[in-house]
Amino acid sequence: MCGIAGRILNSPGKVGRDLVDLMDAQSHRGADSTGFAVYTEPRSSGYVLRGMGFDKSAIDADVSDFSNLLKDNGSQLLSEPQILTDDNKHYCFRMEISDPDDLPAWVADADDLCHRIEIQSCGRSLEIIKDIGSASDVADKHGVREMIGTHGLGHARLATESSVLPNASHPFWARPFSDVAIVHNGQITDYYTRREKLQRQGYRFLTENDSELIAVWVSDQIKSGLTMDQALKKSITSIDGVFTFMIAGPDSIGFAKDRFAMKPIVVIEQNGSIAAATEEQAVRRVYKQEAEVINHDGPALSGIWMLQQQSKAA
Amino acid sequence: MSTDEIVIEVGERHIREINRDMQKACAAGKKIRVVDTLSRHNLGIGLPPGADLHFEGSVGYYCGGLNTGSTITIERNAGWAVGEGMADGHITVGGYAGMSVGAAMIGGTIHVKGDTGPRCGVAMKGGNIVVEGKIGYQSGFMAHSGKIIALGGAGDSCADALWEGEVWVAGDVKSLGVDVIIEDPTAEEVAEVDAILEPLGLVDTSRNWRKMVSGQRLWYFESRDASAWLMI
Repeated sequence: MCGIAGRILNSPGKVGRDLVDLMDAQSHRGADSTGFAVYTEPRSSGYVLRGMGFDKSAIDADVSDFSNLLKDNGSQLLSEPQILTDDNKHYCFRMEISDPDDLPAWVADADDLCHRIEIQSCGRSLEIIKDIGSASDVADKHGVREMIGTHGLGHARLATESSVLPNASHPFWARPFSDVAIVHNGQITDYYTRREKLQRQGYRFLTENDSELIAVWVSDQIKSGLTMDQALKKSITSIDGVFTFMIAGPDSIGFAKDRFAMKPIVVIEQNGSIAAATEEQAVRRVYKQEAEVINHDGPALSGIWMLQQQSKAA
Repeated sequence: MSTDEIVIEVGERHIREINRDMQKACAAGKKIRVVDTLSRHNLGIGLPPGADLHFEGSVGYYCGGLNTGSTITIERNAGWAVGEGMADGHITVGGYAGMSVGAAMIGGTIHVKGDTGPRCGVAMKGGNIVVEGKIGYQSGFMAHSGKIIALGGAGDSCADALWEGEVWVAGDVKSLGVDVIIEDPTAEEVAEVDAILEPLGLVDTSRNWRKMVSGQRLWYFESRDASAWLMI
């Protein structure tokens, strides 16, 4: 029983604050960890990286090796990395880098360091912030409320299928596809079979979390020629399990829901903005007045909300 | 506001505190008007018999759960499992009601003016659910007793694995669940349903009812037959 949320603003604004409100209202759905995928205003070149290192006593060596790896791939740090430490052994980082020669190849190289340092998002606008603790704990620690952007996702995790670790928290980045993130409520029952197939295609997974798989699977379907809409519909019949997930890209948020209608999603759409969440009382934190609430309660549903905003939910 | 009525505000107060206020109002014999509901969960649960609650706006999960004889009106939508486990009383939902309306209820009536989500009346063991709109996917699942009456239609897998409950649908049924048969109701049975609809002002003698009951084959289910039921 996790809680998920999505938010699109009709113009850039305090999307971080809204995501924290949406997740604070659903804290009871997942006490283990909380995460946010915030889409800030996009840059024309270069990427923002978010991630974590597993040993804060090794920060200098990690940054040095990581910088060398960037150089080998035709990229460099554009500013001093922002490092956040606390009582935990792990540390969190935010880096801005110039464009590597080949993004997937660089990600593959960088993932060779994944036992020390793990990239958790890479995008022109996407920044994933996730950690152990409640929505307000994570928001306070990482300054999520102050983040300005256009849209984003939130997740409160009740761990069922993999460990309670900061890097097993949601959202997941669809590595190596930039600017794609997912949040998921449910369990995928054909996880290992599907993961092996994707690994044979060359994809790499850094966790045992089934949600990481959905993000990559959907992105791979789009890479193979499907539209987002087609990929979401296909996920309903292809992926085995009970699930509702939301997947975000640079200009949209899509959702898909299993054939058994076990995991809820409700939406309020108003004046080109939307708030979607597992529970209605969460979206009412954002829209406090009585509003038309759309309950996507049925089985086998999917839809896409676009920025500047034509709903295609059906 | 009548002096016999008390207004309770929900907002962001603790639900336990709100339900305690409701208990006190009931003890004082007051009607209760609940405002600023913000779709919050667990409102009006376990109240004493005879309470009279009116919710302005929408409520979240489990509203009116374990009702033992209260009259509860919700002006707009209700979240999952409105009236779960209720034994008596009457709940009216003015708009849409989410999944599992009246789950495991044993008595009383729930009246939904809009549509419902999936599994309306799941595992109910008595009482009646009247839905003016459509009931969602797999409604009536394993209903042991009582009636679900849908005037607007039903979604897929209707009445799946029904036991001794009945699902009555006046509109289209998208598909049937496993082990369901449709019977032609007798005039006496239609009169029984109309007696439930009459106090709600919903009787219409021109309706073409589909009465769904169990085919009773699953009652004697054995695991070796699972493949025949497409369960594995």
